[in-house]
Amino acid sequence: MSSSEFPPGPEPLNSERRRFLQNLGLAAAGASVAIGASAAQPLPRREVTQWDAQTDVLVMGSGAGGISAAIEARRHGAQVLVLEKFQLPGGSSSLSGGVCYLGGGTPLQKALGFEDSVENMFNYLIAASGPYASQDKIQLYCENSLGHFQWLLDNGVKYAQRFSQEKELSHAEDSLYFSGNERVYPYCDIARPVPRGHVPPAHNQTGGRELMKCLIASAKALGADIKTNVSCERLIQEADGSVAGVQIEENGVRRNIRARRGVVLAAGGFIHNPDMLQRYAPELAKCRPHWGRAGDLGMGILMGMGAGASTLRMHHGFAVLPLYPPENVLAGIVVNRRGQRFVPEDSYYGVLGHETLFHQGGKGYLIVDADSDYPGPDYRVVVAQQADSVAELERKLQMPEGALVQTVEYYNRFAKKNQDPLLRKNEHYLGQLLKAPFKAYDLGTDKAFYAVHTFGGLQTTLDAQVVHAYGEPIPGLYAAGRTSAGLPVAPYHASGLSIGDCTFFGRRAGAHAAQRTGVKA
Amino acid sequence: MKKILFSALLGATTLLGALGARADMPAGDAERGRLVFAACRTCHYPEKLVGNHNGPSLFAIFGRKAGTREGFEYYSDTLKKADFTWTPELLDLWLANPRTFLPGTAMVFVGLPNAQDRADLIEYLKQFHD
Repeated sequence: MSSSEFPPGPEPLNSERRRFLQNLGLAAAGASVAIGASAAQPLPRREVTQWDAQTDVLVMGSGAGGISAAIEARRHGAQVLVLEKFQLPGGSSSLSGGVCYLGGGTPLQKALGFEDSVENMFNYLIAASGPYASQDKIQLYCENSLGHFQWLLDNGVKYAQRFSQEKELSHAEDSLYFSGNERVYPYCDIARPVPRGHVPPAHNQTGGRELMKCLIASAKALGADIKTNVSCERLIQEADGSVAGVQIEENGVRRNIRARRGVVLAAGGFIHNPDMLQRYAPELAKCRPHWGRAGDLGMGILMGMGAGASTLRMHHGFAVLPLYPPENVLAGIVVNRRGQRFVPEDSYYGVLGHETLFHQGGKGYLIVDADSDYPGPDYRVVVAQQADSVAELERKLQMPEGALVQTVEYYNRFAKKNQDPLLRKNEHYLGQLLKAPFKAYDLGTDKAFYAVHTFGGLQTTLDAQVVHAYGEPIPGLYAAGRTSAGLPVAPYHASGLSIGDCTFFGRRAGAHAAQRTGVKA
Repeated sequence: MKKILFSALLGATTLLGALGARADMPAGDAERGRLVFAACRTCHYPEKLVGNHNGPSLFAIFGRKAGTREGFEYYSDTLKKADFTWTPELLDLWLANPRTFLPGTAMVFVGLPNAQDRADLIEYLKQFHD
């Protein structure tokens, strides 16, 4: 090349400007963005002179989304290769509670005496999901919920015919419970409350391990090839924009794998990618713990973006503030720094966390009396202040004079009559705060346990095809699970929506890819 | 069996100089460690009454022989064959180098690169014993 290169490269930073950027912390941020971008840049097909291996459908990731895609692609006759970056398959799904949100009258609901309908389930999901809901995905999911339950049974997932009344499933023997906000105002008035959390019986909420054990065994029995310790690094893209394969890395060696029918990106969310998290979801970034297995590095999302994909809801996620169990603490009240209540305390813990994190700046207190206190020190919360009277507690918390006293008096006045006109907490959880000591547990993000995970991801069609920024599907590219933006949105209002989305739309990705026509030779 | 631990230690040491870092382990703060450890609760609980989860209970972990928690059926061969006792120093080494020290265990984990975080986590875990 001649000395007068065109276009010219970027001007080198002079030392003064570099110092300025460093002070802002931008120099480091810029560097990390550059690393992500180069890794995610698709490799042009013309640079691949020879394929090292071939398959019909290549699946990146082995959580619920990827394995469901693999099962369905095999059922449609495609050759399937699943690549898992770490030493064990299962992804974050295998660490989850394993709950799948299902309704419309499943055999388990019916056997346990609950009457549900597609409309009733749809009405709840639309109301609770709020303005960011993907209505078309919710509708399809509700209409096919019975078939999806049967699919889980067909793949060997077992459920016990037992219902639990508890807000969080802690009994190892039960399989159906109210896993979300169905019984909480105003949703209890919009749709008749019905339990829809379906979970394999397991102790200590290890249902995800049971679920993934079954799905992985089924995928293997159907002939899917699952390889571990193989990392998908770059998409390989044809000149027309369609996806031809993936460049992988195994034991430090890069290889090019042809995917004749499609590539399914199912590599989780990005909760363990600090740069992406800071860039897209700063509220989630400041919470701890970051909840998910090691593979939630955002690689699938970056690879999709590199191929021109559109993303949705990148700042959304779950922010679970698990104040319960025990349920006696829900007689207490959750207040902001001005001593005001803002959320029914019996809300699903994803809603409690969302309201506190996004609408109160990640600050607040749980106020309890002796009867509504935790039985002992608890890893989730610490006491900010305690006092013998509410007035003294208010002073110690430096709240506006009279604010907390007024809140507690108003709450007690109606709790005495089993009412909560302000927020309509269910009477089952109402109780006056009368008995000293009064304690304020700190719900600040620097003190309380907020389990956070990302929901933002690639925009996909009802068949899980990845949508380009200009609105058309990218041929041969699919996404499922938390690499895509699906059923779960903020606020997260029911356990089992994410696993439900992973498995249901994972299936659709696998089926559509396996049947894709018009593929280049 | 000793050989497994020895080679693991050697690998981590030569690659990352972790043993050198070990000598400078900062003083831990258990209250900070409460939230550092929080991420581990997808799989591990140190509270005696909770017991095993996706991973084994970490109650009274220090001074305990690795891979021997009662009732835990999911140990990898690596941990089943491990012949050493958990110390704060070895846990620090593992958390700093999850893919070189004890590779191939069932603990799929990105690592905890910050030495202060590791010290805080370890100080927190020390509280859980009879």
